[in-house]
Amino acid sequence: MVETLSETERFPLLTEEGRRLLRRLHENEFAPRYNHHCGDRLTIEGLRRVRDFEIELKSSAQDRHPGDIPSWLLDFTKTCCRDVPHYRGYKANPADFFSIPTCDRSDLSREPWSFVPDTQDLDDLIVYCTSGTTGHPLDVLSHPVVSSMYLPLLRTAAATYGVALEGRQGHVAIVLICFQKSTLTYAAISAYLDQAGLVKINLNPADWRHPADRARFLDACRPEIYTGDPISFMELASLAMQSRPKALLSTAMTLPPRLQKFLEHHFQCPVIDIYSMNEAGPVAVRDGTGHVPLQRRLYIEILDKDGLSCPPGERGEITLSGGFNPYLPLLRYRTGDWARLEYRGTLPVLKDLEGRAPVLFRDARGNVVNSIDISSALKPLALVRFELHQNADGSLRLRMQKGETTPDQVRHAILSLFGDDQKVDVEGMESPCDSPFKVIQYSSDYAF
Amino acid sequence: MKMEGPQLEILTRRVAECPVDFLAEPRIGAAGSIPVAAIVSDLIRDLGGDPLTLRQSTGFSKGDAKIGRNHLRLVLITCWLFHDPWFLNRKECANLLYLFLTGPLTDLSATTAAEKFVSEPDRREELVRFCLKELDLRPAGETIAQAQDRLATLSTAERRRVIRAAREAEERARAIREAMVRRAADEAAAKASRE
Repeated sequence: MVETLSETERFPLLTEEGRRLLRRLHENEFAPRYNHHCGDRLTIEGLRRVRDFEIELKSSAQDRHPGDIPSWLLDFTKTCCRDVPHYRGYKANPADFFSIPTCDRSDLSREPWSFVPDTQDLDDLIVYCTSGTTGHPLDVLSHPVVSSMYLPLLRTAAATYGVALEGRQGHVAIVLICFQKSTLTYAAISAYLDQAGLVKINLNPADWRHPADRARFLDACRPEIYTGDPISFMELASLAMQSRPKALLSTAMTLPPRLQKFLEHHFQCPVIDIYSMNEAGPVAVRDGTGHVPLQRRLYIEILDKDGLSCPPGERGEITLSGGFNPYLPLLRYRTGDWARLEYRGTLPVLKDLEGRAPVLFRDARGNVVNSIDISSALKPLALVRFELHQNADGSLRLRMQKGETTPDQVRHAILSLFGDDQKVDVEGMESPCDSPFKVIQYSSDYAF
Repeated sequence: MKMEGPQLEILTRRVAECPVDFLAEPRIGAAGSIPVAAIVSDLIRDLGGDPLTLRQSTGFSKGDAKIGRNHLRLVLITCWLFHDPWFLNRKECANLLYLFLTGPLTDLSATTAAEKFVSEPDRREELVRFCLKELDLRPAGETIAQAQDRLATLSTAERRRVIRAAREAEERARAIREAMVRRAADEAAAKASRE
């Protein structure tokens, strides 16, 4: 049972203009069947913190030399080793940053509470239950202010391409596009963006009164920017829309260059690839030759499989320290994504980023199945580790590590999503070996 | 504790004056600077024993950094302690040392950060008494009962502190878990992009 907030709790700084826009978004004749209410929950103090965050993004330098430890990171590390149970357990010397053990998503998934500082008040805690594009569910603890801090980061990313995310009252600033079986959808107003609208929709026709309403509603919204993942943007491009956005911001999965070119041509605007994750928010934006870090207090390292720092230019696992979520301070967090770190002068740049590649699955009727839906369907099962591949003939092959879950349970979950006619083979797999390559959770013979 | 050993105060002072080289980061893989295996091997040789074999050395340079680092730091401090002339002159404990460093000392390292065995008086005394006990020694001038009682007191105080800290940590963890359950069903806050 969802605890319903009052309008004042949901939108503490809502103005009359914002209220009118919200009503318009809810009552538009082509609007989707929203299934959720969600606000920015931003108070005056929260808004001040978001604005301070934006000032920091604009004012401080990104300069860094190989092996440098920024002064803020030393203080941050000291605080983590003292106040955060998981890091305190290392009994590490905070002054020797590079000797501190690393952690990863499995640590976070197992005990998310052990990453909350002792000093952090629990009153403003919110929880994002993520199924993940990678198939590893995670409960991310967060704060309402954190969600609004995404906006200056997205604004900074857009500015890299000369696009201004303005945010004007009475207008929709951003529409977040999804294309999956089910997800929470809602209309909201952002105090940070001067009472502009934020809308989250699912392009799945089942969410709409009529499939053509999708284009009609988006034309009525005329958002400055669309955010979404490559799969949802493919569906967006299939709609007969008249309006054109200033930019598309692609997150969650790696944006294939061919798809980027196609979308840029189709929408006649920049299509911007942002490297982003639930644990750290937007991390870096791709410009001509690599991904440039967005956050000022997020230290990026590249580590080899033994946890040792790679020299500039050498490929390894992206490892993060810092961030802006007070419930999840990251200290040498191994992301599972791979890249090289090079320096453009004194600016660190991630090259050849190998993130979460979008994978195209199709059900027995030929409809696109988003890997997020597969993760959701398998989430209730206690799968230790699995890989799912779709062959060119449409058949599925799921390999799973032995655990409490039976093959029949897995087959049932897959058929519930792909249809009873779907051919699926479930096989066992060995324990993870010491592979120097990232685990590929989902793969498909269907070309993207 | 059957045999009488050195004076307690001499050893606790020695630990308090542990040189910075013995407090530096142990080398694990390619990280850290101090080769612990070489330090241990030198000590055992100085005490009249055979240097570590290659297999024995491996245990002091590899392993899980989360678990092993504090242990290796305590090994270095303990090596400094056993370089005291009292032990060097007798050359009696070389055979026991490898087993001690890789066995009981591992358990002790799990309770407390290694540097506290240098910086805190009670922990210094605990370390010295613990080392003597494992070699079947007791501080000079003490009876077996006195030595046992004093070590038990020190260990108990530390154990109580550890238990209290663990209890507080568990209460905090439970409070967060309960808050997570409550809030997981609540509205979150609107995000403008997804991951």
